[in-house]
Amino acid sequence: MADSTPVDTGVPGMFVNPVVPLDSLPGTESLEWTPLHPRFARRLQVGALIRAVLIVGAWTAFHLRVLPFIAERLPWLPVFAWAIIGAFCLWSLLWPAVAVPRRGYVVRDKDLLYKSGVLWRSVKAFPFNRVQHTKLDSTPLDRRFGLASLSVFPAGAGAGHRIRGLGQETAERLRVYISERIEADGDAESNDTDAAPAPAEDSEVNSETNWETNSEGAGDSGQ
Amino acid sequence: MMANPATWQRTSPFAIVFFVGKTIKTLGQSFAQLLVTFGALAVLIRRNPYLFLLIPLGILAIIATGVLQYLFFRFAVQEDRILIRQGVLKKTSLDLPFERIQGINVERSLVDRMLGLVTVSLDTAGSGAAEGQLPCVDAALADLLRTRVSAKHGSGDEGDARDEDAEEASTGSARRAVGGRSGRTGERREAILTLTTGDIVRIGLANHNLVLVGAVLALLGQSLDFAADILAPAVESAETAFAGADDLAQTLLVTGFIATLLAIALGLMIGAAVLRHHNFTLWREGTTFRSRAGLLTQKEVVVEAAKIQQISVSQSPLMRLFRRYRLQALPAAAMPAQARDAGGLPGLAEVLEVPALKDSRAEGIRTRVFGREGDGLTVLPGSRGFARISAHFIPVLTLRISLVSALIGAVILLAIVGSERALGVAVAVVIWWFCSLPPAALISWLKWHRHGYVYTGEGLANRGGFLGRKVDSFLFRKVQSVAVRQSPLQRRKGLATLHAHLACGKVSVPFINHGMACRLRDRILYRVESSRLRWL
Repeated sequence: MADSTPVDTGVPGMFVNPVVPLDSLPGTESLEWTPLHPRFARRLQVGALIRAVLIVGAWTAFHLRVLPFIAERLPWLPVFAWAIIGAFCLWSLLWPAVAVPRRGYVVRDKDLLYKSGVLWRSVKAFPFNRVQHTKLDSTPLDRRFGLASLSVFPAGAGAGHRIRGLGQETAERLRVYISERIEADGDAESNDTDAAPAPAEDSEVNSETNWETNSEGAGDSGQ
Repeated sequence: MMANPATWQRTSPFAIVFFVGKTIKTLGQSFAQLLVTFGALAVLIRRNPYLFLLIPLGILAIIATGVLQYLFFRFAVQEDRILIRQGVLKKTSLDLPFERIQGINVERSLVDRMLGLVTVSLDTAGSGAAEGQLPCVDAALADLLRTRVSAKHGSGDEGDARDEDAEEASTGSARRAVGGRSGRTGERREAILTLTTGDIVRIGLANHNLVLVGAVLALLGQSLDFAADILAPAVESAETAFAGADDLAQTLLVTGFIATLLAIALGLMIGAAVLRHHNFTLWREGTTFRSRAGLLTQKEVVVEAAKIQQISVSQSPLMRLFRRYRLQALPAAAMPAQARDAGGLPGLAEVLEVPALKDSRAEGIRTRVFGREGDGLTVLPGSRGFARISAHFIPVLTLRISLVSALIGAVILLAIVGSERALGVAVAVVIWWFCSLPPAALISWLKWHRHGYVYTGEGLANRGGFLGRKVDSFLFRKVQSVAVRQSPLQRRKGLATLHAHLACGKVSVPFINHGMACRLRDRILYRVESSRLRWL
């Protein structure tokens, strides 16, 4: 192709984009996952305890006042309801100890990874150059434990995520880091399009042709 | 009137009609609500006939509101933004910089067209769509807005938009030499496709509602007595005429009636299709795709090529019979700046839709939108390249469907029978669950059969569907975030589900090899992070 000559001759300052085989890309299997804050499980349990007290209190009041009239019709309802409430409270008290150690995150140069789940596991990835904005928030209970939540919002509904249980300082440092990455990315992009659109375009087209040859191989191996 | 657009001006007085319509729309948010209101009014009037006077009063009030709204509606077009002030009691003033405007959509009703007016909707994708509407303005103003908006966008992502496109990339250097921006103001038009009359008739025939009406009528026909009962009051005269006739004549009458109904429904569907899609044209002008269609009210949709995130091609069973596809190009739903202001509120962007097209045309549009990056990526559900997902999908889905149906059955049974006979209910539910297994398995198999995916180095096409088929294809570099999920069973079998979030929605590839999902995810991340092209 005629387009590919400029890169081959190596024009100085040209954007070069060599082929990277699909398998040699940095994977996520060998990552060192950073666990959440050690006090996060305890914080969830305390939250669950408060909730449990509230629920049990509210239901007791309901039980004493209203339930007798309903229970005439549905005799099994009180037992059933108490069983469900008990199971829920017990579950929310015990579960954090199991679930929280399974959560973790990794901050890489260009993206943020977050893994979670005990039975249903997921690994989510948020590239910094797609994050539109970030949000730091903490409830009063969070603050007592020195915790904060960091949310990243890319464009599109449901694409974002809220990472709970970070140390306040860690969360703030992360937020600043991500903001810096977003800004750096924005600058790079605008420079690209404004300063010298023509060569950037050519090289991009060029790299596309390179990727095509690679992509065919990748496509075959997959099917 | 167009002398100086920068000054505050009103729209044409015909906009009163538009505002009256808007008032009525806000009064009755839905048709049902309007019906309830009128029903209540009718009851009240029966009680007190003097209340009848309320109706003309109400109509007058609505018209007065329309006139007031028209009088208070002003706008000004400045060099880099448009300002709109409106509201009688609650005043709002909208300040829209042109960079934020995704597209300018134009609608022309019959009256508009006779007077050379247009209703302009500014597609901001994020804020309330209704606010950015200019009713009944000069057609020249729409052109002016378009020029300014595209000039604004041109300075930003001109290079990007051109890169998206294969042909443009090849001829790009020549055009650049002439002077990049001259070509984009709208001189260069390239017609992509128009809908023929046959296609419009096909769209009408393939309408889902028609199938529904047919099914209802067939049910009616099954119970002729029932139908005759219904018909009795409706065709009083016919009833008396056929009072002495035998059963055959009655049957014929009912059949004829049903056939007439069906024919009317058919006519209505085709009529609706003609109304909506008459003279459908899709063309490209510079870096935007535009479509225009409509018999009485003409609607024009404009979408920047660079803003298109995903192409969806779907085919209902009936359309499959006609060998036609429906193509949708989905632009980003939320603008970044807007999302920040509105707290991440997703807005609705206008979707570019081609209601019926042949396979080769669909691929042609894909090439135009994705450019060279989309090579090897298919948008057609019938393509051979699709790789199957794992067959473990079938038992999992079967179990899920049957359990959900059993649960619903249990709830309904408990509600009907009551909790006294719990054992009987349990047995019935278990039997029901067993009976629902074979159909659930059939559904699951069909869904599994429909699922499939194709990927290249640059993009992915994901097929799904149940009776119909649908393919979502996107470029990796437009992805916003990726997730790989594993259920316990998937983990045991080494499978995973890949979710790719785009600015217009989510694409999920279920039950693929875990290693494959991870590789695809890493590939997506690589393309997102290394691409210097803008995604919007």
